[in-house]
Amino acid sequence: MKKTSKAFAWTLVVVVLGLFAMACPKKPPIKTQPPVVESTPPPVVAPPPVETKVENKDFVQEPPQVKQETLPSDIEELNRVAQNRGYIKDAFFGYDESTLSADAQAALTASANWLKGDGKAYNLLIEGHCDERGTEQYNLALGDRRANTAKEYLVTLGVDASRIRTVSYGEERPFDPGHDESAWSKNRRDHLVIVGK
Amino acid sequence: MRQTAFAVLALLLFPAVPLCAQTQITSTIDPTKAASVLRIAIPSPEMTGVTFTDVDAPLFKPLTRDISESGIFAIAPLPPNVTITPEVLQRINAQLLLKLAVKKEGEDFVLEARLSDATGAPQFGKKYRGSAAALTRIAHMVAADLVRSLNGKPGPFLSQIAFASDRDGHWEIWLMDWDGGNQRAITHHGALSILPSWSPDNERMVYTSFAGGTSEMYVISRRGGARTRISTGLALNTSATFSPVSNDIAFVGSVAGNPDIYVIKDDGSNRRRLTTASSIESTPEWSPNGRQISFTSGRSGSPQIYVMDAEGTNVRRISFDGDWNDDATWSPDGEQIAYTSRVNGRFQIRVANLITGESRILAGEGSNEQPTWSPDGKWLAFQSNRSGKWQIYRMRIDGTGIEQLTSSGENKDPDWSKKSE
Repeated sequence: MKKTSKAFAWTLVVVVLGLFAMACPKKPPIKTQPPVVESTPPPVVAPPPVETKVENKDFVQEPPQVKQETLPSDIEELNRVAQNRGYIKDAFFGYDESTLSADAQAALTASANWLKGDGKAYNLLIEGHCDERGTEQYNLALGDRRANTAKEYLVTLGVDASRIRTVSYGEERPFDPGHDESAWSKNRRDHLVIVGK
Repeated sequence: MRQTAFAVLALLLFPAVPLCAQTQITSTIDPTKAASVLRIAIPSPEMTGVTFTDVDAPLFKPLTRDISESGIFAIAPLPPNVTITPEVLQRINAQLLLKLAVKKEGEDFVLEARLSDATGAPQFGKKYRGSAAALTRIAHMVAADLVRSLNGKPGPFLSQIAFASDRDGHWEIWLMDWDGGNQRAITHHGALSILPSWSPDNERMVYTSFAGGTSEMYVISRRGGARTRISTGLALNTSATFSPVSNDIAFVGSVAGNPDIYVIKDDGSNRRRLTTASSIESTPEWSPNGRQISFTSGRSGSPQIYVMDAEGTNVRRISFDGDWNDDATWSPDGEQIAYTSRVNGRFQIRVANLITGESRILAGEGSNEQPTWSPDGKWLAFQSNRSGKWQIYRMRIDGTGIEQLTSSGENKDPDWSKKSE
């Protein structure tokens, strides 16, 4: 019994030592973990959203103020921002067409909403443009029709006609200087330009 | 022998020949040959107090180019350093001899030009005087006088071509000589200025400019200077063109997106509307007698050429080939109309005979648009993008002799002056 118990105890020691020995090489990887933990502080910085929430709760009137600050006083910058954010949207046409597609109507509807809302202090210039595949003189007339088609549509949507001017540039000022359908489709458009109050 | 006899007879009939001898040539030259080209010898000019480099580029080159492109003369090459005798002229088959002498008097150059036939009988003689800056104009004057001395008409050498160019950063109205020389800006709007059109007296041009933020008509002298805006009360104000017989200007005006042909006096009074269709109308052009106006209309579903009486009545369609036709312009005799016609997806110049109804295409590379007739009806200028950029070219009405006239920046909207000089 004693022998067997001694032997058992030895084997235990050996097994335990062996386990230790096997476990030892695994330790370094465990040690490397802390750096990973150290690299997580950025998530800890996340809380600021909570701070802004608090501000929003404190100042209910602030959101509209913030929005007004983003409308630049420089008219060119304003046009860039308004186009980027989709406040006003250019309307595109089919080849030799001056009727409004569903997409063009949607673009003008969005533009009308802005002009009647946040943009009600501004007037609008509609530039009619054509692609280069037509002739210069006829395209000047076609651009005039395109610009006026959009103007009429905006008026039916409730924008005061006196706020809208039109001009035709025909094919004189293409947006894309290329000579393929990709360029032409960009150049057949009514370009909406916000002008002074 | 026979020719000499005729020449002697001519001398007896017209003893004072040196400065005008327009009819004599028909007496010394075989009429069947006169109908085609005459071979002309032009020996090296006599020069007194002048170097060849002074006068070669500004005077002799444009003069010999004009003569060789006149359609009336062919230059007969002379052997070098040979004394001109009737035998020499006969050997090179020259029917005419042009002798030039140039000298300097103070700051002025004086050119003497004498034309004689192969027997030495004088046909034409004239002196020209001008500064160095006037030498090229003198060259074109000599060419015009030579051609006039033979067929009573001066040719296109003194005519001018108006056009639009963006070479200085903005589209402005420019002028050039018939051969592309002497290019100069007439407007300095710093805006988009296009589509110039000459008055019948060659003194003024009407054009469209966006200088005021939108397109409006302006009139300016060929010498530049102040411009006059013609207030029409309409939008567009494009494709303006002077009547050949009155002070009316036809143009495209628009109300609420309906472009139509209108006429207005050059002082902005008496505006009249000539077309009333709901379709797009554009690009009016008067017939040479002022009684008719051609224009472009989309009323059939695609842009096509129509002609109406100057009062807006009696409208009839004249273009049936091509799915996009525009830029109609009448030949000086009123019998033909040249226009831009799309054939297989590409714009070409088409010339239609109004009497026979037939038309022919003057094909070329690239897109070719906006033809305009020379005042003698023998040439067409037009714009083409065959080089990758819009440039102005000139060709004979049979499509031969194509020459590029512009190369700086992009150039378009050519309009050839209505008068030859």
